[in-house]
Amino acid sequence: MRFLDYLGLVFYNLGRRKGRVALTAIGVVIGTAAVVVLVALASGLQRNATRQFSQVGNLTLITVYPKYGEVMSQPVGGGGSGGSGQPQTKLLTPQAIAELSAIEGVAQVIPRDSLRGGARLVAGRMETYPFIMAYDTPDLSVFNFQMKEGVAELKRGEALVGEYLAKGFNDPRWRPGQPQPEQPEILGKQLKLVVQKFAQDGTMTERVYSVRIAGIIKQRMDETDYGMIMRMDDLTQMNEWLMGKRINRNKEGYDMLYVKTTDSKKTTEISKQINDLGYQAYSPMEFIQSANNFYTIIQIVFGGIGAIALLVAAIGIANTMTMAILERTREIGLMKAVGATNRDVMSIFLGEAGGIGLIGGVGGVALAWGLAQVINVLAASYLTNPVQFGGQPPGPAAYIEPWLPLFALVFSTLVGILSGLYPALRAATMVPVVALKYE
Amino acid sequence: MNGDVFISIRQLRKTYIMGRVRVHALAGVDMDIPAGSFTVVMGPSGSGKSTLLYLLGGLERPTSGQILVDGRDLSVMDENALALYRRSTVGFVFQQFNLVSSMTALENVAFPMRFSGIRTGERLTRARALLTQVGLATHLKHRPTEMSGGQQQRVAIARALVHNPRLILADEPTGNLDTVTGYSIMQLLSELHQQGRTVMVVTHDPRMLRFATHTVYLLDGRVVSREEFEKASALPQEEKSAG
Repeated sequence: MRFLDYLGLVFYNLGRRKGRVALTAIGVVIGTAAVVVLVALASGLQRNATRQFSQVGNLTLITVYPKYGEVMSQPVGGGGSGGSGQPQTKLLTPQAIAELSAIEGVAQVIPRDSLRGGARLVAGRMETYPFIMAYDTPDLSVFNFQMKEGVAELKRGEALVGEYLAKGFNDPRWRPGQPQPEQPEILGKQLKLVVQKFAQDGTMTERVYSVRIAGIIKQRMDETDYGMIMRMDDLTQMNEWLMGKRINRNKEGYDMLYVKTTDSKKTTEISKQINDLGYQAYSPMEFIQSANNFYTIIQIVFGGIGAIALLVAAIGIANTMTMAILERTREIGLMKAVGATNRDVMSIFLGEAGGIGLIGGVGGVALAWGLAQVINVLAASYLTNPVQFGGQPPGPAAYIEPWLPLFALVFSTLVGILSGLYPALRAATMVPVVALKYE
Repeated sequence: MNGDVFISIRQLRKTYIMGRVRVHALAGVDMDIPAGSFTVVMGPSGSGKSTLLYLLGGLERPTSGQILVDGRDLSVMDENALALYRRSTVGFVFQQFNLVSSMTALENVAFPMRFSGIRTGERLTRARALLTQVGLATHLKHRPTEMSGGQQQRVAIARALVHNPRLILADEPTGNLDTVTGYSIMQLLSELHQQGRTVMVVTHDPRMLRFATHTVYLLDGRVVSREEFEKASALPQEEKSAG
């Protein structure tokens, strides 16, 4: 039998009993929709979680901290000192930077340092207390700063500030009952940065630096929001004044290193290698991968719950096909009498069962799509919106992955075919004469 | 009629087991049927004539014995080979017509050709020609429920001819028809015989004998002579008159 003739016959036979096919297919529609919607909900959860993690950190960045005071069994390369059995410190020295840069898949290693004392930023009568840090790189694009205002470039004597810091100035002379002072316009302005040094006897010395605000960074949900980013040479100058000596990076290292990888897929492996070298490395990819494993399990569980409905529908298909075979027994006998092989008969009835599954699957995918839209509208309307608290808008609560409708169609068709297996086998193995004489 | 043996049957037995009872539908049948013959198989109900027809058509398997049709041994064929044999060599006509009620006359006739891989256009052309041949050119779009019994049987005959078979097997083709209509159906089968086909008709209507070139009488699963058959057929009437 030619394939098109086969398909034509299958759908012709389904069309002969539209009502029963429709009723049976409704079960598949519900089952398929349940599978698709539940898996879509799990996907939505996963995507939102991944999105939140991605916002917190660049997925190609590994944060590396020094490791202090661990007893090492043997000396390791890079920074630090001491020998076997002695407490080892893995400092983030230039040698450590060279060591990490040599790892395959590392694109860049960027040192970060922070001010080792207090400071306040003064704009007229207003002031605020920034967390001051510096990255030792001329190109800040690696951090993917989204600028609210200004540019993400620093010249000497310039700084970038976080969004919350920029709107967090206060007037120390303000008293309750007085009108709230307006936040100062700081972009492009030359502000005073008052660095405070405390001696051992408690006396405080201040030194005033002039800083021009080159840009305001959009909210990132990290330390940058309340921070101020300066050039490393400006920060080192302040730190040397605070410490009263020149800083030797070979002995003191940096606070932190950012290791940028060439590919986010390599991040976890490189992070592990850095840990193996004796440093403390963290990357958001590790959190995401753990979360992904969790959400994959959620998807399977949700899909399984939906599949129970599909199982019930499968029993309906088996029942419908068994009834159809009883009603069409003489027709089966006729088909055999005019030359249909057992395989032809089996294919026709399997095709009809699969056709019911496919029709139900199409309906189920359409229903699931509609339900997903409703869920997304309701979720967007009623669930807590982090935008109100300065966060990013959430993604869809139910997200139908592109492969999911195709999977659902194939799965529902397969369920139909499997359900029709026993009835089709019965039809195929009928003795022609017995079938022809069936009353 | 060319006289060559087309069907050769040797020691054909068919036994049905119904619970603990063994029913011998055919109890050692031997016969040779020439190619191009019109054979009428006569016998009362339960004589085994329909069983003989179904065995010849490959719709059932014999318990023992040999059936050779055009030199091919049906008793050793597997299911697939039997299906291909039915498709290529045999055309069936049934007492109950066995038309698909949802299909038109044209679709019913074209239906078997789906299993042979014949394209739609050719299927419909051939079906239209066959329906014209059996006198139903004006009923192509009629469904079985819109046709008389005679017309339905004509559709069934047209369907039996779609693969241009050499053997036509008809099981009580006039059984559900009135006398006049039944006669016209027998005439149609006779025409097919005259076109060179081998026709075998199972009936218990003696008026059909006028079309036969060969007659086979069956009693209790055995081939008997005409005299023995007539004697056995007459016996119940005599007993009835005596009573």
